[in-house]
Amino acid sequence: MRLLLIEDEPEMRQTLSEALREEGFAVDEASEGIEGLEKATDTEYDVVVLDVMLPGMDGWEVLRRIRECRRTPVLMLTARDSTADRVRGLNSGADDYLVKPFDLSELLARIRALIRRTVNQTQPRLDIGDVHIDMVARRVTKAGVNVTLTAKQYALLEYLALHQGELITRSQLYEHLFDENETSLSNLLDVYVSNLRKKFGHDFITTRRGQGYCIENT
Amino acid sequence: MRFSKSIRWRLLLWYGLLLATLLGGFGYTAWRLEVSSHYQQVDHELQRRISAITNALRAFRSPGPIRPPRVDLKLPPADAALFDASDSRGYYYAVWLREAEPAARSAKGPAQLVRPESGDASPRQRGNLREAFLFAAPVDCVLVGCSTEDDFASQRRLAWLLVTVGGVVLALGLAGGWWLVSRALRPVQDISHAAARIAGGDLSQRINTANTESELGELATVLNSTFTRLDDAFAQQARFTSDAAHELRTPVAVLLAQTQAALNRERGAEDYRNALLANQTTGQRMRRLIDSLLELSRFDAGHEPLGRQECDLVQIAEDGIEVLQPVAEAKHIVIRRELSEAMCHVDPGHIGQVVINLLTNAIEYNREGGEVKISTFREGDRAVLVVADNGPGIRREDLPYIFERFYRADTARASAASRTGLGLAISKAIVEAHGGTLVAASEYGHGTVFTLSLPAVERAATQGGSADLTD
Repeated sequence: MRLLLIEDEPEMRQTLSEALREEGFAVDEASEGIEGLEKATDTEYDVVVLDVMLPGMDGWEVLRRIRECRRTPVLMLTARDSTADRVRGLNSGADDYLVKPFDLSELLARIRALIRRTVNQTQPRLDIGDVHIDMVARRVTKAGVNVTLTAKQYALLEYLALHQGELITRSQLYEHLFDENETSLSNLLDVYVSNLRKKFGHDFITTRRGQGYCIENT
Repeated sequence: MRFSKSIRWRLLLWYGLLLATLLGGFGYTAWRLEVSSHYQQVDHELQRRISAITNALRAFRSPGPIRPPRVDLKLPPADAALFDASDSRGYYYAVWLREAEPAARSAKGPAQLVRPESGDASPRQRGNLREAFLFAAPVDCVLVGCSTEDDFASQRRLAWLLVTVGGVVLALGLAGGWWLVSRALRPVQDISHAAARIAGGDLSQRINTANTESELGELATVLNSTFTRLDDAFAQQARFTSDAAHELRTPVAVLLAQTQAALNRERGAEDYRNALLANQTTGQRMRRLIDSLLELSRFDAGHEPLGRQECDLVQIAEDGIEVLQPVAEAKHIVIRRELSEAMCHVDPGHIGQVVINLLTNAIEYNREGGEVKISTFREGDRAVLVVADNGPGIRREDLPYIFERFYRADTARASAASRTGLGLAISKAIVEAHGGTLVAASEYGHGTVFTLSLPAVERAATQGGSADLTD
C-alpha cells in the first residue's frame, strides 16, 4: 500500500514516515501544500495523510483540489480540535480526521480501516482457500501453519488479496508497492511473485501474460 | 433604584420647588400690586369727596360758644352726585364738631359711625368699609367712606385666578421638567444597560451614541472605546492562549509519535538511543517554547523587573556580535559595524537579548555569504540601533504581522522549525517596556532592516553617580 504524507513539521514527517514504512507501507513525503497536491494528483495513492496547517497552500485547499480529480481516501491531521473544525474537515470531503497529538497505533488503525473501506472490505481478515491473512497483525497462515514473509512480499499478497478476482496490472503494482525513492527494477516484481508461489502454490496467483496478475475467486 | 436616591426624582423635586417658589413669589407680588393700586384709586376717590365737603363747609362759620348741634351741609349739585345713592360703592360722609355724634351725615351710610381719633392714620379700614378723614377747620373732623365689599370679592377672584394659573404653569413646568430630565438621563440608562450586558459577559455590546452629542455622549464614546480595547485585549488573550496550546501540541505530537514508533517493536540499542536523542530534541524545543511563553506573559503583566542602568548601545551591540560571530562565520556571513555613541538608560541584559534576537534573525534568514550591518547612533533625543541584512527579505503581506505571536512567514517556517515564533514578539515587548519602539522595514528580495529606538540620555559628566542623574 502506498501513501502520501503531507506534513510541514520535519521531525513529525520523518518520524511518521519511518513508522509507516516499518508497517510495510510505501511512503511518499511532501513538506508543503503545493508539492503535496502535485504528488496527490500525479499518483494514485491508497491513502493521503494531510496536515491542515501547511505553508504555501493550507490543507483545506489541498483537499479541495485533490477532490476535483481524485477519490483517494484522505485522513486529515490537525492540532485544532473544536467540533467546528472536525465538521469542516469531514464536510470538505476528508474521509477521516485525527487531532494532534494522536497515538501512532490509532493513526495506523485508521489508515488500515480507510484502505479496507476503499475496497469494500469490512473485515480486517481475509480467507482465500486455506490461506488466512490477518491484516492487523500482518500475519499469514496456510492451513494453520505460519508463513514468514518479507515486508514487500506481504504487501504484494495483501494488495492482490484485497483486490481478489481483479486483474492487477504490473504498473498498478509498481505504483502501490514502491515509493518514489525506490528504484523498482522491472524484474523485481516477478521475483516477489515467484516467492509467493513457492509458499502458497503455483496456482495461487495466476499470470495473465502481458497484462498482470490476479488471485482468482475461490 | 431607591426613590429618594433617583437622580431623576431628586432633580424633579428641586426643580418643582424652585418653580413653585418663583410662581408663588411672582403671584403674591402681582396680587399685592393689584390690590394696592386698587386702594390707591379708592383713596383718591375718597380724597376728592373730602375736598368737595371741605369746600362746601368753607362758608360755615362757627356760631361761637353755643354751637348748633347740627351743621346744615349744602353740597353743590355736581358734588352731591359724588354721593349718589345709586353708586354701588355707597359713598357716605360725616362731619363732626366737638361732640361724639356727627353734626352732619349723608343720608346713607352705616348705622354705626365711629369718630376717628386725632392720631389715627387716614385712610383706615373698618371691616368692609374704607374711610378717609381730615381734621380741619371750620369743623372738627370730616370723614368720607365707602364699602369695599365688591373689592374684596374681586381680590379673591384675582387670587384664585393667580393660584389656578400658577398651578397650571407649575404642572406644565413639572411635565416639561420630567421630559427634559428623562431625555437628559436616557444616555445614562443606555450606558447602564450596555455596561450591565458587558458585565454579563457579552463584550461585543456597545452604547448607542447616534444622537448623544452632549457631555454624556462624550462619556459614552469614551466608554465605547474602553469596551473596544477590553474586547480586543480579551480576544487577543484568547487567541494567544489557543495559539500557545496549539504550538505546544505540535511538539507533544512529535514526542508521542517518536516514542510510540520506537516502542512499536524490539530494536537494537542504537535505535533506542536515536529515539531518545530525538525525544531530547523535542523536549528542548518544548522547554524553549514554555520559557518564551512565560517571559512574554511576565512582560504582558508588567512584572518583569528592569535593572536599568546607563549604558551605551555600542557596548550592547559589540556583546551581541561576539556571541553570534561563530554562527555568522559558519554561514559565511560578514557582520559589518558602524557604531557611534548612543547612551540610554535601559536594562542591558534585556536589550542585549533583543539585539541577539535581531542578529540571529538577520543571520538565519540570510543567504549563504550574505552581509549583516549593525549600526548605532544618536538621533535627536533617541538612541538608535539598526540591524540590516541583505537576505531574501520579508514579503509585503507578511510584514505587518511579523511581531505577532506565533506568526511565521510561511517560507521561513520549514527551515526554522526549531524556533518558537515568539522571538520578535518578545523583543517588541521588551523594547516597549523600556519606552522604546521596534519597527521593521523590508523589500522582498533585497533584505530587511530592523530599527530599535530608545530614549537617549546624556553621558554623565562623572562616571560615579550616573544612575542618579538619569532616573
